[in-house]
Amino acid sequence: MIVYERQEFWSKIIGQLTYLSNEEKDRVKQTWGKNDEGWKSKTKMYFNANESLLTNLEEASEYGWSSRTEDYYIYRNYEKEKKIELIEMLGKTYVLEDSLRAPNWKVLNQIKDVAGYICMKAVTEDTVKHQKITAWFTGDIPVSGGPERFYGLPGMILELEINDGDVVITASKVEFKKLEGKELALPKLKGKKIKDADYDTIIAKHIKDSIKSYRNPYWAIKY
Amino acid sequence: MKKRLLLLAVLVHTVTLVFAQTPTKFNIKGIAIDSGNAVMPFATVMLLQPKDSTLVNFGRTDENGAFEFKNVKKANYILKISFVGYIPFQIDVKPVDGAVNDLGQLKLKPIAKELMEVVVKTARAPLNIKGDTIEYNAASFKVPPGSSVEDLLRKLPGVQIDQDGNIKAQGQDVKKVTVDGKSFFGNDPKAATKNLPADAITKIQIFNDKSEQAKATGVDDGKKEKTVNLELKDDFKKGGFGKVTAALGTDERAELKGNYNRFDTKQQFSVLGLGNNINQTGISRDDFQDFRGSQANNWGDEADFGFSSGVRFFYDNDTEESISIPVGGRNFQGFSENYAGGANYNYDTKKTKFSSNYYYNQTQQLVSKKSERENFLSNNNSFKTDEDSYQNRISRNHRVSLRFEQQIDSLNTLVLIGNGRMGDGTTKFNSLQEIYRNGSTTKSNQTTINNFNEFNSTAIALIGLYRHKFKKKGRNFAASVTYNYNISDGEASQSSVNELFGAPVGSIPANINQINFTNSPRNLVKSSLLFVEPLSKKFFSETFYNFSLRRDAVDRNVQTTDGIRIDSLSNYYNNDFMFNRFGTNVRYNHKGVNISFGLAAQHFHFDGNFARSKNATDVQHISRDIFAWIPASSINIDLKNNRYLWADYTKEVSEPAIKDLQPIIDNSNTLYIRVGNPNLLPMSTHRAFVGYNMFNPGSFTNMFFNLNYGYNINQVIYNQTVDPVTLVTTAMPTNISGGQNLGSYLGFGFPLKKTKSTLNLNAGTNISKNLIYINNVLNTTRNNNYNFGFRLDLTPSDKFTFYANGNFGITNTKYSINTTQNQQIFNHTLGAEMNIALPAGIYFSSNLNYRISKNERFGFNQHIPILYASMYKILGKAKKAEIRLSGYDLLKKNIGINQYAYQNFVSTEQTQTLSRYFMLSFTYNMRGVSAKMRRQGWF
Repeated sequence: MIVYERQEFWSKIIGQLTYLSNEEKDRVKQTWGKNDEGWKSKTKMYFNANESLLTNLEEASEYGWSSRTEDYYIYRNYEKEKKIELIEMLGKTYVLEDSLRAPNWKVLNQIKDVAGYICMKAVTEDTVKHQKITAWFTGDIPVSGGPERFYGLPGMILELEINDGDVVITASKVEFKKLEGKELALPKLKGKKIKDADYDTIIAKHIKDSIKSYRNPYWAIKY
Repeated sequence: MKKRLLLLAVLVHTVTLVFAQTPTKFNIKGIAIDSGNAVMPFATVMLLQPKDSTLVNFGRTDENGAFEFKNVKKANYILKISFVGYIPFQIDVKPVDGAVNDLGQLKLKPIAKELMEVVVKTARAPLNIKGDTIEYNAASFKVPPGSSVEDLLRKLPGVQIDQDGNIKAQGQDVKKVTVDGKSFFGNDPKAATKNLPADAITKIQIFNDKSEQAKATGVDDGKKEKTVNLELKDDFKKGGFGKVTAALGTDERAELKGNYNRFDTKQQFSVLGLGNNINQTGISRDDFQDFRGSQANNWGDEADFGFSSGVRFFYDNDTEESISIPVGGRNFQGFSENYAGGANYNYDTKKTKFSSNYYYNQTQQLVSKKSERENFLSNNNSFKTDEDSYQNRISRNHRVSLRFEQQIDSLNTLVLIGNGRMGDGTTKFNSLQEIYRNGSTTKSNQTTINNFNEFNSTAIALIGLYRHKFKKKGRNFAASVTYNYNISDGEASQSSVNELFGAPVGSIPANINQINFTNSPRNLVKSSLLFVEPLSKKFFSETFYNFSLRRDAVDRNVQTTDGIRIDSLSNYYNNDFMFNRFGTNVRYNHKGVNISFGLAAQHFHFDGNFARSKNATDVQHISRDIFAWIPASSINIDLKNNRYLWADYTKEVSEPAIKDLQPIIDNSNTLYIRVGNPNLLPMSTHRAFVGYNMFNPGSFTNMFFNLNYGYNINQVIYNQTVDPVTLVTTAMPTNISGGQNLGSYLGFGFPLKKTKSTLNLNAGTNISKNLIYINNVLNTTRNNNYNFGFRLDLTPSDKFTFYANGNFGITNTKYSINTTQNQQIFNHTLGAEMNIALPAGIYFSSNLNYRISKNERFGFNQHIPILYASMYKILGKAKKAEIRLSGYDLLKKNIGINQYAYQNFVSTEQTQTLSRYFMLSFTYNMRGVSAKMRRQGWF
């Protein structure tokens, strides 16, 4: 089981939105930039040699306020090359069933330690959101999985960076234990059935609409 | 994926049988061994495209260190083998004639133990591998603040620095230190490393550079010099911005304002100033945020814990200025001249935050007002008061604020806040009041008032907050102490002349000619404690205690203009208010469902001493104890797909205002005399609220609904007794129960055409019942208000935008004792805004606000269109300057009109206010000017 912690640095993200004036960006930077420790959320992934299931990890906040976490289930079967995703976004629940199609990763000559594992660096590009993706994967966990919707490297991805640190997803806990069997079970799949291509279209359309309306598209979808 | 490789292999195998003649595929195999020639099982083997390192295929070595990629396309590849603790091995693979390219034994070199331990494991720095050399980012090495680059270099593996500061890297002398690739520091490598602070550096690269000679001649002499390159941090967090606007207009209108902000990673400094006579009394929210920077929002500074409702303090002086910087100009009617200026300094680190600022503002307000007010008495009697008044008020305020926050460690936080304000000013007030009875056109009385008031006041507020988190997750403790001190000192000379026409001479209210000296200090000490305990994963308890002790004193000396004390009007009092509240709250939080129930016991103790003067012996004493149970509950539910539902119920208890409790007579207005009531009870209000909202970010649709209800017990109302002869009203506060109000709101917004046009609709009602005694007869006033509104946004392109909005409201007011006075008031507003981008950086923008007020009973039907238009051009390539011509109130219709219908009167006020003027303004903004074609905000 791996717990991933996701940090979103909004002051940095907003700084890149082209439709805001420099003054507004500076205001955000000045007000929040200094103390931007990143908006944190966690996901956890159970996996065995052939399968993995990632879900949002709900944790009671320190002051005891609970907000509902959206449905987010990412299931992959590496053996059968299949994936099933249950994603709540844009006011709807989608069920995405498709075959696995890994992005074109480029493997680079850098290594570093993440959660006690020596990882190698690989990069790719999100062609829909136009983001630079940097992944650190370890050959020590020979499963081609990773956080959120990323996978397809010769080992588990333990750290992932979007656009040089706008969002950083890091494995905060890596644990090996025997699965009882239920951990990899998906909940009832209720929602609009889509394929990968539909997903990309929905995201691309939302980003296009939002930019046209001078809104930040990433309030409603994951950055 | 590993499986895929095999599947693929099987598949391709069958294919190769068919196409055996065309050798487009081949196998690559080899054995991974370490430097001791031992085989390396389970190493990761990858096949990459040489062009851009794209991953083509991957696998692992078997127990014998062997691997084989079968039937890969004939092409050039890079083969890469990685294993923990070894430098990733890399080799170019070329297609061979045969079916198999056996690479033989491939030897992996271990990474130096020192590098592994220090760089990778301890500093968690990424290693960059270029062939045999390894680079890393030195910023990951932590050094104490204030350290130089030299101190940082000492920590790096393979680097030695001798006592003189000479640097050796991997055993070789470092000849050159460059900053961002440039040699800034001449030939002495120590100049940079000794002088530059370590935290200015993001990366240190140690590499072999060509010698200077080789660079100059272009002939590589093969000599390499060890070079250290220091990369400075990018200036992401450093900057400065500012803007200045100067404007001149017709009617001697002028405005000058500017601000400048500078900030780096730790500090921020800003200044601002403004001066105008166009009724801009304060700074805008945006300017305030720029001014205060990272300290603009401090959410955790609330020192009162527990239910937010339940207790409320009334302060006597309504005109008292706030202790914090006033933000956003109020909608001021009249004419005003405003000046303000200030400076702010913040220092922020993760552990320590310090902020200080000074702010001065000065305002002169001229209000020239005509008002008409009709009061209803029992038996269908009424009288009308016409007033013509003029007020000139000048006020000046100095404000200082300090805030210090220290994170003592990960569990303890301390916040100290100090705010102060010192102000003074004068108010001159002249008025002529004329009274007519029962619709008659003959004047029955007349009063002329000439008052002059001088005041100064000081306020200090100190807050200390301590928060502690326990090791047990969710268990928290917080404590706060607050001290407030306010003092105001005033001298008011009052003069009023009363005339009564056609009435017996003896009944004319006396003329007033007096000077009031008032000194009123107020001290408040309060403290709050909060303890949060997780009862289980889903249940929390919150226990709180609040204490406050407030001491007020007022010393009011009234003298005649000759300096003789008027005992009947002078008074002295002091009050002690003690408040104790203890309560607890149980909360359930799980998966977006938050439910809380709580109960508090609340106790007031009030002690008051009243006398004619500070030294008097006949002191009246009032002592009261009031106990109340305060319940509070709330439910919040996050439903699926951005839908939220919430409801809450609270009871608020507020103590009576001191002004209302003290048994003294306030005759500052001879026709409206206020008398206190020491028997007043605290007022309590039951409030209930239900709301629902949803937002669909996909279709840009939103909906809101809410319903609120309030019921008053022991509401403080001002019972009025009107002298039938002199028409002098005496008001006395009394408690009454039964006043209530019910409000509702429904809003719905949706795009007519996505990104091009949006329509928002809303409707609401407000129904209220107010009670009052007039000449000892109970009068019930019912106000029923219905409103409907719409907003249409048209944003077809970046060159043209149009916004329209309308709000329509009807209020029906019904009186129980004087039904002939029942009335219907219509208040409608219509607005439109248009922005057009013309060629050559010229923009046109206009705004129309059309207000309609109608009240048939008074034959009142007013249409006020306020039109604003401006044309501006953005100048220069960098778009930093703007020149603008604006016209305000082009139709010259801005007449400050207000209408009120209340418990037993209706009134209409008309204030002379700023009307049509034109202005030419110039703005320079360091960060560029942008045309405001779109409205701000996401919805």
